[in-house]
Amino acid sequence: MRTSMSAIVARNETWSGDAATEPYEAGWAQEAIIFVRSLKTPAGPQGRARVEISPDGMNWVWEGTEIPLPDRKDAVTFARVSHFGTWLRLAATLPESSTNTVLVTIHLKS
Amino acid sequence: MLGNHRAAQVPATWADPALSRFDPLPRIICLDDFDRGFCGWTQLVGNYENSIDSMLPGYAQHTSPMLSSLAHWDAGSHNSVDGNYALKIATRPRRGAQNVAIKRLTFREAGPIRMEAYVTFKPEATELKLSESDIRSFGFLFDLQVGDRHGAGGERVMPHMRFLNARDGEHVQRWQFKRRSVPIIPLGTENKTISHYHLAPEDWEDLSGGEQHLCYNEIPTKVNWHYIRFDFDLASMTCTGFRCNDRDFDMSGFDSLRLPAMKNLWCMLNLAFFAETDVDKRAFLYLDSVCLSGDF
Repeated sequence: MRTSMSAIVARNETWSGDAATEPYEAGWAQEAIIFVRSLKTPAGPQGRARVEISPDGMNWVWEGTEIPLPDRKDAVTFARVSHFGTWLRLAATLPESSTNTVLVTIHLKS
Repeated sequence: MLGNHRAAQVPATWADPALSRFDPLPRIICLDDFDRGFCGWTQLVGNYENSIDSMLPGYAQHTSPMLSSLAHWDAGSHNSVDGNYALKIATRPRRGAQNVAIKRLTFREAGPIRMEAYVTFKPEATELKLSESDIRSFGFLFDLQVGDRHGAGGERVMPHMRFLNARDGEHVQRWQFKRRSVPIIPLGTENKTISHYHLAPEDWEDLSGGEQHLCYNEIPTKVNWHYIRFDFDLASMTCTGFRCNDRDFDMSGFDSLRLPAMKNLWCMLNLAFFAETDVDKRAFLYLDSVCLSGDF
């Protein structure tokens, strides 16, 4: 049976400016869907989060995928990612004075 | 002839490669080798009611465990004792940050249990130096409660053990336990949910004779695996033994956090492992495998 995992990498964290989830190591997985849900009404204009990968969990590079940050409470956005190596995280740079309280979950499958 | 004599006494588990590096009690409750997956381990999420904002900060910092090949920037994947993967418990990169992974069971017989595990710990390799005092502690705890027919005086009992590796930069290296209960904090308005952060840094006590120098290899990306064994009797709710590698420790001075039994937690048998960092750097605790066994 294939291994799957729903990992919570940011829960009820209020993002502003430069923000990122904790790194998630998942070299065993072939595919991932990353969901972003706003737990509270976002403030200000919302940008796009970017999926980042890493050779070591410490140095990060944009994978090429973006996810729009939700613009209202309980809205959900997502992106599909595959062939990401060992490490994943979601990072974002929010416009000045904007905030978003997020739940970021990564759903992985071997 | 020595070989024949020894063969007559060899436990049956020695012939099973998966069990031969453990010394379990007769009944295997679970044998979690993380090469098989997450094996029922999850993050310890905090309690809340109505709003997730009511979660205590100590719990809010927790994140999900990972299956790790111990991949390092300089040497690649270190891998586990006998395979590719270990369960990784990672803190945030903030001094004092903790993270906890937990397995939640109930018991069917209030008798002796034994927990054995192969574990190792390292800080994130963000600096080109030994970093031996960057991890504050790693440890484990049980969260136990008597059965619902126990009667008056039934308790929720939480044995805690940690290896205090370092404190404020001092390389302490000693086993500690915790028995002083922490304040119970009601959550919400329905009188149904409480929380208490029992892993707070206060009230840890030194285990008598608990100094131990563990193998900590020469750079942050070399690890060696350690054996841990903890024996507990669910009938008397007392610890009956603890071993790490080649050392058996005197547990006569050990005791657990003890609270009045709670109305929803009968026969609870939870096992958790945790990591804590002493600097603004992630601490990693890796579990290769965990064997929980019982005498029933």
